Amino acid sequence: MNLEQQERRFALALVGPALLLLLLITTAPLVYLLWTSLQRLDLGMPWVKGFAGLGNYAKMDGDPRFWNSLALTGIYTASTVVLQVLVGLSLALLVLRIPKGQGVLRIAAILPIVLAPVVVGLFWRTLVLSPEFGLVDLVTRSLGLGSHNWLGDPQLALISVIAIHTWQWTPFAFLVLLATLATLPPDLYEAARLDRASAWKRFIYITLPLIRPAIVMVVILRTMTALSAFAAIFAATGGGPGSATEILNLYAYRTSFTELNLGYGAALATVLLAITLAVSWLLFRRRTARTA
Amino acid sequence: MNRRGRTIALYALAGVLLSVWAFPVLWALLTSFKTERDVLAYPPVVVFTPTLANYREVLFGASSILPNLWSSLIVTGATTVLSMLIATPAAYALARLRYPGKRASGFYVLATQMLPPVGLIIPYYLALQKVGALDSYGGMILIYLTFSLPFAMWLMVSYFEDVPFEMEEAALLDRAGRWRAFWHVVLPQVRGGLAVTTIFVFLNAWNEFLFAVVLGGNRVRPVTVAMFNFISVEQTQWARLAAAAMVAMAPVILIGLFAQRHIVKGLTVGAVKGGGRR
Repeated sequence: MNLEQQERRFALALVGPALLLLLLITTAPLVYLLWTSLQRLDLGMPWVKGFAGLGNYAKMDGDPRFWNSLALTGIYTASTVVLQVLVGLSLALLVLRIPKGQGVLRIAAILPIVLAPVVVGLFWRTLVLSPEFGLVDLVTRSLGLGSHNWLGDPQLALISVIAIHTWQWTPFAFLVLLATLATLPPDLYEAARLDRASAWKRFIYITLPLIRPAIVMVVILRTMTALSAFAAIFAATGGGPGSATEILNLYAYRTSFTELNLGYGAALATVLLAITLAVSWLLFRRRTARTA
Repeated sequence: MNRRGRTIALYALAGVLLSVWAFPVLWALLTSFKTERDVLAYPPVVVFTPTLANYREVLFGASSILPNLWSSLIVTGATTVLSMLIATPAAYALARLRYPGKRASGFYVLATQMLPPVGLIIPYYLALQKVGALDSYGGMILIYLTFSLPFAMWLMVSYFEDVPFEMEEAALLDRAGRWRAFWHVVLPQVRGGLAVTTIFVFLNAWNEFLFAVVLGGNRVRPVTVAMFNFISVEQTQWARLAAAAMVAMAPVILIGLFAQRHIVKGLTVGAVKGGGRR
């Protein structure tokens, strides 16, 4: 047996078990999900059974709650990702100039990241956003802006869940971008300063191109998280009031496990899966095109 | 603005930042030591007689979360150990060895990491219901592996890639055999990476909620689900909820403070080197 064969065998022995297990626990269930999405399967109406073909998918067309959840998913994902990058980058640029005390800030930034999203949702629902006793309500009342039902009003509820997600994950963008900014070579800026380039121009022509890969990476990861966000919204609003904060993820969950219509729920989950894969493919392609 | 003014403004801003992120958590900590009456006082009281009654209640009272902590510990512990045992050798092969289908298998692992959890929970629920394994540790651990295993693999790949090639080559020239080279030469080099990966796998599994709430029941109910014991339509027990949340989150907060330097690396895994490169 030559060396190459030996290496191949060794590699397969190491990686084989993991790949087989992944096939069994992720890919096989997905096939089952697709199969379920083609069935009439409603545990609330057990007599309704059988193969539905694409019936569950056709049903979405006339389902306003589906289109609502799709639009909310778009709004939620786009706004949280944009906010995280903008706020995170601005903060990183500012904190970079602080000579001392960055360590304390880093610790404060870690706190939201390590908390379970469900706990974050519950904290905000009670301590931060509840009318009368919540922190935000205390602030708005003392500023004379009055008390609001932050999670009970449809529009405010959507803004609130976007704020919760942004609060929890902006530290991530901040930490990654701060770490990236710290590695930029200072001599580039020296030369630009000698050329009397303004701070804004230095940012646009030097900093931004250098940190673009990091920004793209943050966008990819945050988009994936936002698309599968669940626990914080579930804890804060449960998707309500009505369906005001019901992103596709929550709609699929509610359909499957509250209304027990697992066939339609599986079809909704499949749509979310397709969207996630399409978005990640687009983002990754863009990333490799840029860096190549 | 002069230089000094600017520095002061920067520090003020940093202070605001710090409080926006830390305050809700510190406020919850404060609340956990209040009586329900102090919680609802207006204006809110910062000076009050602290009580341990909430902690006593959530640990040893009627709605004790101790069984839930135990559930979390078993599920999270088993998931972490299994993930590390299976992922570490696989990551070494992905990072270092040549074999057919390597590029494809790398992409495959990355893709499994991106699956939306709600897409997995439906087939798991149906399948486990069929075999009567809802509310069981086995089923729960299996579905936790769906996110822990790919994550552990990608994180370990990035650590194995940092090990200098010469080390293994020297060991192989000594006819040490591949297993022994892997075990005695390469693994000690990634000791730090193994620790960090273990910590992250644990943290992610501990915080999981969707799988736990659907597949769990009276027997297996992780602590993230038990938080809802203190919230009902009629009444929210604020102080008890805060105390329970503090107990439930103590492990991950401690881990976060302890491993803060590695947090960024752990969170960016998969995208730093993932896909594309090989």
